[in-house]
Amino acid sequence: MSLQTPRVLPAHLHAFHPSSSTTSKHTVRILGTVSALRGDTATLTCGGSGDVTIILKPDSHLQMGKLVEVIGKVTDLNEGGVGIRLLGVTDLGDPADCDYKIYEQVVNATHKLKAIFYDSNE
Amino acid sequence: MPGEMNNSPSGGKSDYNNATLRPITIKQALDATQPYPEAGYQIDSAEAASVCFIGQVRNISSQSTNVTYKIDDGTGEIEVKQWIDSSSGAGDSMETDEHTNNKPSGPKSQPEVDGYAKVFGKLKSFGNKRFVGAHCVRAVKDINEVHVHLLEAAAVHLFFTKGPVGGSQGQGAGAGGAAGDASMGGVDDYGAGGGGRALPAMSPVARRVYNLLRTEPQSNEGLHAQLIAAKLSLPMPDVARAGDELLTAGVIFSTVDEQTWAILEY
Repeated sequence: MSLQTPRVLPAHLHAFHPSSSTTSKHTVRILGTVSALRGDTATLTCGGSGDVTIILKPDSHLQMGKLVEVIGKVTDLNEGGVGIRLLGVTDLGDPADCDYKIYEQVVNATHKLKAIFYDSNE
Repeated sequence: MPGEMNNSPSGGKSDYNNATLRPITIKQALDATQPYPEAGYQIDSAEAASVCFIGQVRNISSQSTNVTYKIDDGTGEIEVKQWIDSSSGAGDSMETDEHTNNKPSGPKSQPEVDGYAKVFGKLKSFGNKRFVGAHCVRAVKDINEVHVHLLEAAAVHLFFTKGPVGGSQGQGAGAGGAAGDASMGGVDDYGAGGGGRALPAMSPVARRVYNLLRTEPQSNEGLHAQLIAAKLSLPMPDVARAGDELLTAGVIFSTVDEQTWAILEY
């Protein structure tokens, strides 16, 4: 089976954490606006659904204020809490062009209808 | 019965009946089944002759006869082959969809690695490997389009597994409201739908009459048009017209006289 990267919101991260026994996959996809850059980490603001900390790769280029889709592994942060270790990022331009509410509905639908989106053993 | 449309091995007939373009996820493409070898692919027990999906392009490999894309939409990964049309010389940039009116074909609609692309094509397999033979691959620049596609795929999946909006039991007005969805969905007439079968495209009144015939207790003579008119509080001419529609569609038949109808079941 090829690699699946479920779309999530910040509130779902704990369910994909490696320590969560029911989860076999820890790679997720999340959409958000880059709201802070601090050297090796960045903060992604996910509409009205909260923030998430992204651990960057040395060669990843994030730009402030851009809408990005991040694919990464859910992991513990040094300062506590759960974040995402970046594996890949797609720049999607201006956050104003995206209706984040649609994305929230997509996340809800994809987790309700696992049959067509994701294997159910996750 | 699922698959009853596919009795002819040629598959040609069912292509005509169900030439719909179905929005799907890549997981659905990978999970699609064939009722028997060489048959058309089925998703949710309904034939999926042509499909479309949106995903990120992971790899593009151009060969002399075709371009192969690797597409990943988060639910899976599949190979997409687009044959290069040597006669036109512009096979890859052929635009067949709604974008032609605001975006002329050209480099702008060309898919790029890591960008999103929408693929229109047919499911194929070679050996044990499943791929998509694409009619058209174009870049998607608006992220909302990606999200809407996923919701569309979910809605169509629910249509085929749970029946039209308004409930499969569809009593009276509820079933009338679902009329538009059922006809738009292009369901192959009797194959799909959870409870009760989906009707071909027809008027809301005809749907109400059909649903009454299905749910109302009756003898094997069926129901008289006047009784139907009274039960649904509809004028007789409307019921007669609905009856004609249902008779023409072959879903009901007249029993003791021309005004008494029963559901045609097989």
